[in-house]
Amino acid sequence: MMPLERLLIEFLLTFLTREELNAFLRSPQNTATLVGGLIAVSGALLGTFLLLRGLSMTSDAISHTVLLGIVVAFLLMTAVFRVEGDTSSPWLIVGASLAGLGTVALTEMLYRSGLVRQDAALGLAFPLLFAIAVILVSRFVDDAHLDEDAVLVGEIGLAWANTNSHCFENCDSVTVAEDHPAAKMTRQCVNCRELGISPRDERAEFIEVCGNCGFYSPARAWSAGLLEREPALVFFPKSISVALVMTLLTLAFVLLFYKELKLSTFDPALAKALGFRPGALNYALMALVSLVAVGAFDAVGSILVIAFFIIPPAAASLLTDRLALMLLLSPLIGAAGAVFGYDLARGLLFGFLPIGDAIALINRLFGLELVEEWDSSISASMVLVIFLLFLLAWVFSPRYGLISTALRRVNSRRLFDDQVVLAHIHNHQFTAQAATELRVATLHLHFRWTRRKMGRVLARLRALNCIRIVSGGAVLTERGEERAHRFRATMLEAHNMPSSLE
Amino acid sequence: METRSDLALSIDDLTVAYDEKPAIWDIDLDVPEGALMAIVGPNGAGKSTLIKAILNLIPRAAGTVSFYGAPYERARSLVGYVPQRGSVDWDFPTSALDVVTMGLYGKLGWFRRPGAAERELALAALEQVGLVDFADRQISQLSGGQQQRAFLARALAQDAQIYFMDEPFAAVDAVTENAIVNILRELNQRGKTVLVVHHDLQTVAEYFDWVTLLNVEVIASGPTAESFTLENLQKTYGGRVSYLHGGQLLAAGAP
Repeated sequence: MMPLERLLIEFLLTFLTREELNAFLRSPQNTATLVGGLIAVSGALLGTFLLLRGLSMTSDAISHTVLLGIVVAFLLMTAVFRVEGDTSSPWLIVGASLAGLGTVALTEMLYRSGLVRQDAALGLAFPLLFAIAVILVSRFVDDAHLDEDAVLVGEIGLAWANTNSHCFENCDSVTVAEDHPAAKMTRQCVNCRELGISPRDERAEFIEVCGNCGFYSPARAWSAGLLEREPALVFFPKSISVALVMTLLTLAFVLLFYKELKLSTFDPALAKALGFRPGALNYALMALVSLVAVGAFDAVGSILVIAFFIIPPAAASLLTDRLALMLLLSPLIGAAGAVFGYDLARGLLFGFLPIGDAIALINRLFGLELVEEWDSSISASMVLVIFLLFLLAWVFSPRYGLISTALRRVNSRRLFDDQVVLAHIHNHQFTAQAATELRVATLHLHFRWTRRKMGRVLARLRALNCIRIVSGGAVLTERGEERAHRFRATMLEAHNMPSSLE
Repeated sequence: METRSDLALSIDDLTVAYDEKPAIWDIDLDVPEGALMAIVGPNGAGKSTLIKAILNLIPRAAGTVSFYGAPYERARSLVGYVPQRGSVDWDFPTSALDVVTMGLYGKLGWFRRPGAAERELALAALEQVGLVDFADRQISQLSGGQQQRAFLARALAQDAQIYFMDEPFAAVDAVTENAIVNILRELNQRGKTVLVVHHDLQTVAEYFDWVTLLNVEVIASGPTAESFTLENLQKTYGGRVSYLHGGQLLAAGAP
């Protein structure tokens, strides 16, 4: 991870000064938005395929069970390999991905047994793994990064503080040994505990121990006051590089296997028959979902991750019916949710509506005393905004939105009413019954419509210049005649097929 | 047992079992090149299972299948497959043209993307089934018959030697049925081998020159004129068949 970060920083330093970059990264808002945005982008890309495969809830299951992988890897590292446990270590990510795949495999095994249904299999597998993880955490892990709060909603607001330091100039590292002038030597009793005596006892034996010896990276050395020249440092939040790497991996996977993913999502049988490997592809997809879920775990906890996977593609699917466009729209929606979500957490809806003012207004209007300060969970706010964006698509989507669907329904009902009346006139005009069938005053009785409804339809048809009223009876104009014919033709075509086949 | 390579399809001792119950049992079937064959049998006879087992989509319990003497892994490009229409989600965000283009993915292999040449081939296949005007239509906006024809066009685009179609006539309108029959005949004239899971006994003799009667085991297989007899049908369906379709079947099945 470190060389990659360094490469990225060197690239960024061609545009920015070091001070500007540090200032940018030190802002909690920038880091949180960036991390949230990257998680949203990678989640939305993978989520598009999950949604289309009917596997939405799998992302929820995986985001929970990665905890097991994290905990087991954490315990192995600290207890067996004696290395310092760190929640952004690649080993934790590997462990978590394996746990994610384990969830999928366990679910499939339960389902294949034929004894439980697919949704139930998922409901059986992931609580088991999650419960084991929770027990392990509460029993063995004593670390601030793995407490229950972090599991619930994550700590994206603190992401800026956990950094790797990179040094670019005056990079003097220092090794403090016992003979170093800065070494702090203390006396330590070696046999006190063994003999159960106090250090003042005359039998106590002492050795000199160095309290601050060890290797000092330039950043640590500078802050410990061991250096005379200030090193040129950049502090890079670890979460950004984790999120960036998983976004790049996701992007590469989707771009590289776009065709194969599309086919095996739409028609896995054909994919298999053509020699693609839908099973392997499915596991690769799930491995990436696990990877993103781990990356997201630190930032947004395990419960809200599913929102980053599923809501953006659900919104995008209402806006387009092309997969490629869906893959473009859903990351955009997710990223927008991350950006505006941070604002919302700080009390600004969609970047310009101050919630505090709204609460103040409500207080004034209703004489309430609600707290006007607004400061809430960042990850939850991001999810809320993504959902608001979904809501907008759901209501206003030009093709599938509630409004356009309702309008279309009203419109087609109206069109149908018009056509029925036109057809009726067409069938009866110039016949012996024309006088009784087409009399405007009684026309509504033939349709069992109300007089008002018939009045509306006739008024509309007259306004459209489709009918005329001649001595109390309805008559088609030339235009009305043409419409009646055209309707008949299209109705027939809808039931039959193109003429090229006949 | 030796496999003859002049046979388009040769199946030996094929058995597929779900749990312990065999879905198809000890199938031996030789299909000569150029046959237009119906596979008929009652519900649960294993017709779809047979096709899926032939194409290696489900595990075989026993038996071998060869295409022109080669196993499926080496004969993939010779084989075209039209699954049941209900096997996919038609709300998938894609167009009719795109679905047809999927038939060409096998030839493209991994990573390569379809280009202008594939687009032309797919459009030509759509033209053949009378759907070229619907190329850019979202697939959920196609009628059931049109969806079935899109699947057919996809198989045509594959340009295979031997086709497997799983109930292409299920719940389609008369025009689509006609279109499918015309395409079957055209494929037949071009020397392709076609196996169709079929459920309408009344049209078997009219549409197909070969027939396989299946009820877990192969009851009879051969030219329609010889094999599609009332006696074989009764063996396949039990007593019900003459009761249901009696007169017409005798007319259609008797030489």
